[in-house]
Amino acid sequence: MCIVVVTALAFDFTNGFHDTANAMATSVATGALKPKAAVALSAILNLVGAFLSIEVALTVSNKIISIQGANGAPVPGLMGVPMLVIILAGLVGGILWNLLTWLFGLPSSSSHALFGGLIGATIAALGMSGVKWDGVISSIVLPAVFAPVVAGLVAGLGTWLVFKIVTGVPEQQRDAGFRWGQVGSASLVSLAHGTNDAQKTMGVITLALVAYGSWTNVHAIPVWVKIACAVAIAAGTWVGGWRVIRTMGKGLVEISSPQGMAAETSSAVIILSSSHLGMALSTTQVASGSILGSGVGRRVPVRWGVFGRMVVAWVLTLPSAGIVGAVCWFVANAIGGALGVTVIFGVLVFGAAYMFIRSRRTPITPENVNAEWEGGLVPADEREPAKTAS
Amino acid sequence: MEILTKAFEALWQVLLVGLVLGVGLPALFALGVVSLSRNRRLVSVGAAGEEITKPSAAGLTGAIVCFGVCVLAVIFGIVVIVYGKQLFGV
Repeated sequence: MCIVVVTALAFDFTNGFHDTANAMATSVATGALKPKAAVALSAILNLVGAFLSIEVALTVSNKIISIQGANGAPVPGLMGVPMLVIILAGLVGGILWNLLTWLFGLPSSSSHALFGGLIGATIAALGMSGVKWDGVISSIVLPAVFAPVVAGLVAGLGTWLVFKIVTGVPEQQRDAGFRWGQVGSASLVSLAHGTNDAQKTMGVITLALVAYGSWTNVHAIPVWVKIACAVAIAAGTWVGGWRVIRTMGKGLVEISSPQGMAAETSSAVIILSSSHLGMALSTTQVASGSILGSGVGRRVPVRWGVFGRMVVAWVLTLPSAGIVGAVCWFVANAIGGALGVTVIFGVLVFGAAYMFIRSRRTPITPENVNAEWEGGLVPADEREPAKTAS
Repeated sequence: MEILTKAFEALWQVLLVGLVLGVGLPALFALGVVSLSRNRRLVSVGAAGEEITKPSAAGLTGAIVCFGVCVLAVIFGIVVIVYGKQLFGV
């Protein structure tokens, strides 16, 4: 049980640092905020956002897999350890995929990684019938296709109009004004992110507690879970996924202040409207689409190759996390009991440590996050001589 | 097929809200910036010969209105984040 909670919090942490970029990449890139100030602001807002969530997100997985009843309680046959193993395997899949995409500096949806891992573990445990494919299509596949298109369109139009309006205004005055707008809109994205994403982890932990029998109320989240999740996501944000920030802020397009403001506003509006109009869109995909669209709207060259790699990552997210989740479940199940759980936890620790060490070879830090983009994530002067662009 | 139509129904609503607010707010903000920078009055000339100017009264009023609406929109956004589920019942 402890392992499940720790793993869930670890997922929350990776979620935080992976998604800092969504809100803050543009502000960092245009210099509206110093890199460290940006992540600090985002972390605080995520923390606040996590506490603001007043809904119980226990049914978060109900749409896609059938391991819970309608009221959010686990299916009776899965009470206890079977449920915990499914959740743990799913979380491991989600974390490893998050770390891998972070290593490559690619923004990918943390929610999709979590759902992918859970779907994989569920298929392994219950077979194909454990998954609600209708739900997968309507709440994951379709939104993933639409998110970047809608966001890109809105941000593109917004940017085009903004530049049309401000022609003739001296650049310095213009940028000074828009930096404030940028910070405001980016803050809103952070707040919304904290509310949405911390909730998912809270839901997962509460679900595990219910399955374990140490919590029975399916309409409330234990206070310590709330605090732990809020702190985990804020800590993750604070550490800052510089690799992803760099790709989104510098890699996709060169961003100016008015453009960044238009992009963030578009992200904020679409994330908020979509989550209340019945089609929750991935924060990551919306933000990427917005930044891309803003580049098109300003008619600056877009690095389509970088975007192409992102799309590949998005397509792979669900199946990859799913495969890891499924493999973990099989391993845990084959070995059985506490030992099986310990083994997959060991795999997680090992995988995470390996990717962390690998990332140290070409570190992206607050200092070099804004270096010129020359053919790759790693700034030119930091590249190992023997290695070509990664 | 049913999920497709449902998705499109949600989609065009999101797109509509996105276009109105997502394009409208940055545009309004831009108007505010423009309003601040047009017809500035020369106040004095700085040491390096640079002109120090102030926005005109009309410009300042216009900017306050524009930025004010933006601030209201942000506050509305926060309300949606906190109470959205109750407001819209989704």
